[in-house]
Amino acid sequence: MARLTDDMLDFLASGVAHQVGACTADGRPLICRALAADALDDGRLRVLISGVQGFELLEAIRINGRVALCLVAPGDYRAVHLKGRDAQTSAADGPRERALVAERLRVFAAQLTPFGFPAGYAQALYAVPEGALTAITFTPEGAWSQTPGPGAGHALALKP
Amino acid sequence: MSAPEHGELRVPLKNIRRMLEGLMPPSMTTVSPDGMPHVNHVSHAEYVDENHVALTWQFQNASRANILATRRACLSFDDPTSGTGFVMQIEYLRTETEGPLFERLRAKLAGIASHSGMVGVFHLRGADVYRVLELRRVPGRLEMPSLAPRCDVAAGARRVSEALARCDEAAAMLDTLMDGLARELLIEHSMLWMLETDRSVLSLVASHGYAVHRIGAELQVGVGLVGTAVREGVPIRIGHMSLSMVYGRAARGVIDELGLAQAVSAEIPLPGLPAPRSQLAVPLRARSRIVGALFVESLHDQFFSYDDEDALTLLAGQLGALLGGLHADDAPLRPAVPTAPAAPASQAAGAPVLRLRLHAKDNSVFVDNEYLIRGVAGAILWKLAREHAQSGRVEFSNRELRAAADELRLPEVDDNLEVRLVLLQRRLAERGGPLQIEKTGRGRFRFVVGRRLELV
Repeated sequence: MARLTDDMLDFLASGVAHQVGACTADGRPLICRALAADALDDGRLRVLISGVQGFELLEAIRINGRVALCLVAPGDYRAVHLKGRDAQTSAADGPRERALVAERLRVFAAQLTPFGFPAGYAQALYAVPEGALTAITFTPEGAWSQTPGPGAGHALALKP
Repeated sequence: MSAPEHGELRVPLKNIRRMLEGLMPPSMTTVSPDGMPHVNHVSHAEYVDENHVALTWQFQNASRANILATRRACLSFDDPTSGTGFVMQIEYLRTETEGPLFERLRAKLAGIASHSGMVGVFHLRGADVYRVLELRRVPGRLEMPSLAPRCDVAAGARRVSEALARCDEAAAMLDTLMDGLARELLIEHSMLWMLETDRSVLSLVASHGYAVHRIGAELQVGVGLVGTAVREGVPIRIGHMSLSMVYGRAARGVIDELGLAQAVSAEIPLPGLPAPRSQLAVPLRARSRIVGALFVESLHDQFFSYDDEDALTLLAGQLGALLGGLHADDAPLRPAVPTAPAAPASQAAGAPVLRLRLHAKDNSVFVDNEYLIRGVAGAILWKLAREHAQSGRVEFSNRELRAAADELRLPEVDDNLEVRLVLLQRRLAERGGPLQIEKTGRGRFRFVVGRRLELV
């Protein structure tokens, strides 16, 4: 099973913004901001989102398992794109997940600070009602650079 | 929960148009023909009308291939002040490769590219036009209150316009506009650049809110936000300067890695604020030609809105028309009487000679080997100096200068004379020294020469 490289794992924890994409059976594209992502011991990627914000996207993933995740560093727009076809969703509103989201929020907010956003801005994006934190878990089948410019779309090697 | 019916618009598009260029470039999901989602970021989205938006097509990539194949995409973007999120379902209609929308998108992109040294790399291939099928607010966000507008832009612009309409001289028009922007619209930093078409150069003729004015500074058409707005003939507005720059620089990093650095020019620092957060450049038109640009900037993020762009476009149009109509009622042309005024005390024997040198190629004038000015203003100065050296004249009229346009071989002088005189007068005043221009009446001025001139 392909795994993220150490560099990608560091990137996950560096304060990136996350966007998850999916699509319905009839080809309706969907998008939702995610709050955190980390790698499980078996190499699969776990992405946490608000079930309230992403209800339609979660429904589509439950049906077809297809998912795309784009990670962007606000400080330099470095971006990595990951895709999977075996995604599953599950309730994941436990203390460990909440702690992970709080840590990711902390580093993400620090990335935004130099750009003059109002205090509390990142917290507004990260609000999740009690019990709504949901996990999307998938095996990354490929990774690509999404940093803006003509190099966008270049495949990035995963660990075998 | 089922998906809403296609065609539903829950939020009016005009209510969120300011967010399309806000916090971060919007994110987009497209879908491949075999049903695989693809997420990427777009530089910005452009409000076209209540039912349409446009995206830039710059690179041939997976999302572009998906759009052409399946025609569907959804965009996610956030209010940069409140954190409110929106998702828009869109359907690809067509790609425009010319016309006003294409030029507007190209100008915005070129503005970002120029600031980040990416000229020639952020190349707009087309403006992709989409129908908006649905626009929904993201549920469940902890939204903060939106910032109140900083002032009533329409009412403030009206007061500036009324004050402008009472002016009958170029200098008063420029000062009234810039003072008015500061007082009525709280725009503290502004510049007025005028175009010299034959040299494709913009000259700074007036500024407000800067410690150093730098009147006479020059900017090539096509360079920077101002130069790009003039070249394309459309207003360009950038908010969250630093994030736009980061976006551009990210691409530049890739270019460098790919060894394409020769395609990238050096970054050109803009005159003005050292660290602006918002900027807006609006072309100045007179009789359907672009004659310059009004440029404003702020230390605050997202300072200029669509409303500012609308208001400044109207005021710039009024200023352009007023400047264009100035010469219609000049002072009457009197025959030049070669009066021989008493030489000022400083011109007494023994005072060092002031050497003026002209480079005819671009009409640049040097005073004691130090650059002073060039272009139309340089040609005017040279004419004044020559007349003075020959006859001792110091009193001149705008009208006789205009009549001498052929002699000056400056086709534009008729349109721009008053503004060029203001530029020359202010450049001389800012520099200090023995050459000055003093207004003596309507359409009349005195050429003050503190030392004996020698033209070389």
